[in-house]
Amino acid sequence: MTTHDPAFTEHLHGEPPGREEPRAGRPPPGRRAAFPRAAVAVALAGALLGAVFAALSTSDFMQHLDRQVHAIHCSFLPGAAKDVAASGCRTVMMSPYSSLFRESLWGGIPVSLWALAVFAFLAYRAALLLWRRQASAGDAKVLLAAAALPVAMSVLFGAVSIFLLEAVCKVCIGIYAASALCFAGALLAYRAVRAAPGEARFAAALLEGTALVAAVTLAYVASVPRPDPRTSTQGCGALVHAEDGAGVMIPLTASAGGTPSVEVLDPLCASCKAFDARLAASSLGERLDLKGVLFPLDSRCNWMVTEAIHPGACAVSEAVLCAAGVGQGPKNAAAAGAVLRWAFARQTELRALGARDEAGLRAEIEREFPAVAGCLGGALVRSKLTKSLRWAVANAIPVLTPQLFVGDARMCDEDTDLGLEYTLSRMLSPEAAQERARRRAAEPPRPPPPPPRADLQASAAAAPPEVEPQLRTPAAPRAVEAPPAAPGAEAPPPPPSPAEAVQDEARPGPAPEPTPSPSDAESPAETPKPSHVETER
Amino acid sequence: MNDTSRRWILLAAALAIPAALVVTWARAAQARLDATQGAAREVATASVSNDAYCTPELKAIVRRVAGACGLLDGGGGGRGCQPLQARKVAALSGSDFNALFRPLAHRAHIVQFDPTKAELDPAARALVEKAWSDQRGASFFFVVSRASPDGDEQYNEALSRDRAKAVLDHLDARFHDEDLRKQVGLLWLGEEFAQLPTEFCGWDRSRAGACSHADINRSAFVAWIDCAI
Repeated sequence: MTTHDPAFTEHLHGEPPGREEPRAGRPPPGRRAAFPRAAVAVALAGALLGAVFAALSTSDFMQHLDRQVHAIHCSFLPGAAKDVAASGCRTVMMSPYSSLFRESLWGGIPVSLWALAVFAFLAYRAALLLWRRQASAGDAKVLLAAAALPVAMSVLFGAVSIFLLEAVCKVCIGIYAASALCFAGALLAYRAVRAAPGEARFAAALLEGTALVAAVTLAYVASVPRPDPRTSTQGCGALVHAEDGAGVMIPLTASAGGTPSVEVLDPLCASCKAFDARLAASSLGERLDLKGVLFPLDSRCNWMVTEAIHPGACAVSEAVLCAAGVGQGPKNAAAAGAVLRWAFARQTELRALGARDEAGLRAEIEREFPAVAGCLGGALVRSKLTKSLRWAVANAIPVLTPQLFVGDARMCDEDTDLGLEYTLSRMLSPEAAQERARRRAAEPPRPPPPPPRADLQASAAAAPPEVEPQLRTPAAPRAVEAPPAAPGAEAPPPPPSPAEAVQDEARPGPAPEPTPSPSDAESPAETPKPSHVETER
Repeated sequence: MNDTSRRWILLAAALAIPAALVVTWARAAQARLDATQGAAREVATASVSNDAYCTPELKAIVRRVAGACGLLDGGGGGRGCQPLQARKVAALSGSDFNALFRPLAHRAHIVQFDPTKAELDPAARALVEKAWSDQRGASFFFVVSRASPDGDEQYNEALSRDRAKAVLDHLDARFHDEDLRKQVGLLWLGEEFAQLPTEFCGWDRSRAGACSHADINRSAFVAWIDCAI
């Protein structure tokens, strides 16, 4: 009740009594403040918006648990712009930072799932205050503290996104904005009611929040699809000729005692770049002694594709091989890695240049890496690149990139993104190594390697077709007369090794054609005239 | 409704909605996974070339020559075919034999030699290297060498063999490729079989300028054959 008693109002100098100003901006203790409906509504709106964005992100993540590639949301408008193309959202989702416990669960537990649970908790707390139409300082303090969690996580994951992944995810930004909105509402609500009575019951709130997050996590873990344990350890297929006889493999990473592994890659393939980044970010990558086999999906050098899927990939692959060294000696891993990183960083630009002007692309490569000049486009490196592609033929691998072979086992394609850590941890396990060794031991013995060149040069030339194959080995010189060679000329090279014969026999084709009759084959060759006798004029 | 009831209603909703969404999404993923497991994959397998020009006739020739000339098991066991063998394995007239290789116009190269010589000049070496490095998916590299009809038949046969061998030796020295032994087929024809008509002067040759019938036959025809046999 307002008083006009002079005993109480004389200090007002005749002015009517008004509201007492709070000291230092704070309401007097013990007074119940007006319920900050708008502020709490803002916090609720932020929480619901964050829940929607988090749900979209979780949904996008979980649809990939079927091991297929799907369109994902990537827009500031919730639910809009679902796209299957490469985007910052996809980069972030496929990165090892998008989920935790990836080695224990295929794909891991998405961080967005916990964001969904936290926003649901915040929405529950804000909705409860709105429903009550009253809030104590304790309630507001709990809401504020809870709202600070997604803000802190937003700062953390925003930094990871920008500085580590160098990608911007619009849905993530939506979550960051929703977190800020929720926090702002909670802060305003707290400022409005901080003088109101009521202790903050942090323990109970923490219990509620933790239980909610745990329950949602449990539902996720219990319901996600389980991978096939056999393919997780043994992969999908195996190399039959893993050896690098032609020296086409590029060292990518080397770790002492690491498991020998091969990555089939195209330097202008976006998936290869993403895979490389995932592997580099994974701690399991350090356990691989990884070599790369170049497999450009460009019809200019790759006869297995009918068009240039990645224009310019042949030229860039040549540059990688040139940098590594096209000889049989040790490879320059650092130089090859530099070209590869450069190509990964400028894929879009290089593909466009390759499609427009391959000569220009080659000039650009030589400008950037002067050391490859003179090698790029040359016969040696082109032959080497063909050998690289023929390594793929020898192993009958699928025409796609990237592919990872751990030991000689091929990681299933569907395990190379979200399931990378889960599958890699199993393929690197001692059990998987033992299984691979058992499988190799059960295989029939490989053909012996080709004989030394010196032996081959010593072998004779023509032989009749009826000679038994086992006699036509370098170790068993034929008793058939070879045609005499011209003076100063060496004998013609020898027949193929048994390994060559096995490979050729195995090649599919029509029924063998008849071979020359023995009489023709055995016809003695005429002795040529000395080469100084010039009769061909 | 008291405060406790409100609290439980809202908490249950906060728990049930996310959990229900998660379970629904997981079941959908499982259903799709079940549906795709065992489905045939439409990914091509890396393989050698088998180009459109690989007619049954050309394949037959390639196979006979590869067999008779030492590339395939069950063949002659030697490296290279002599004219008699070549004529026999081709089972064709010289012109029909040459006609088989006409579709290779974009793949073949003709390395030319000086009269009576079997040495590769720099241009010839460069052309041989260019030809070899353009293997792509081909399985066999044919070197079909000839000599002009001038002079003695026996000498020309030996000369054409030396020319074929010069190509092989250069490839061996330049590329140190162990696949040489199973990919290069030598066919030396001397002057006796399948002389090239002058229309082949228009093909990719190691020498520019004049090209007579004798010039085009002092040569080695080198080409990768994109046939899976």
